[in-house]
Amino acid sequence: MTHPGLKIFSMLFGVFYIVAFYFDLALFRYYPEARQFHWMRTDGIGVVILWYGWIVTAALASAAVAVAVPRPVAERLSSRWVWMVTALVVLVTLIYERRWFV
Amino acid sequence: MIVVLLLLHGLLAVALLGAITHQALSVLPLAATNGRRTFIDRFRGVNAPAYATPIVVLFVVTAIGGALLYPQYRIDVRPALEDMRNAAANGVFEIKEHLIAIGLGLLPAYWQVWRQPSGAEAASARRALTWLLAFFVWWGFIVGHVLNNIRGLLP
Repeated sequence: MTHPGLKIFSMLFGVFYIVAFYFDLALFRYYPEARQFHWMRTDGIGVVILWYGWIVTAALASAAVAVAVPRPVAERLSSRWVWMVTALVVLVTLIYERRWFV
Repeated sequence: MIVVLLLLHGLLAVALLGAITHQALSVLPLAATNGRRTFIDRFRGVNAPAYATPIVVLFVVTAIGGALLYPQYRIDVRPALEDMRNAAANGVFEIKEHLIAIGLGLLPAYWQVWRQPSGAEAASARRALTWLLAFFVWWGFIVGHVLNNIRGLLP
């Protein structure tokens, strides 16, 4: 019923998400005032939302790796890595976002 | 329409918060008791695996609700907070959006560990993943409510 690639996906999703956030690698951008999606930065149509694009970037990247990793390798991966990597990503995120509070 | 969506988002978040808190407390190691069941014992004495799928569904649906509300926040609320020079409020919201996104990515592994037979490794993974998700949900819930009411909370 379950696939070992799910562990790979979850372990890498946070990493790819935070990389996409830090390096501004949103797959697409949404401009809520104009109600328009754009692939590239588009000036003059109001504020931009990148969050949707970061999530899709992270989902596609982690899904691609999860599919590419051979099943025996994925099966050997301990579930421990999933939460340890994610906890580290959260810690890095919280440290980086201290900038709002100083 | 936006108010209805906001209320629905809040109600779903309450259900999610309750479910994940029951499950998070249920995976804590048992302390020795003298036979009397306390409120905490009864609160954590749930069929934890049965909560996994509803939690995944509630997390996804609540996150979608938040994503639909986000444009309104970006247009109306965030500029107001910037005008109030309240960088901390924007900061806690930014952390909320990161945690919810990371939580969405965590759901497949979370769901998987709750479906596999229980063993020592599965138990520790269940505990850690559930507590991570519980942290994300509690952060999102508290920040969402504070920001929703911030004009009434601040002088």
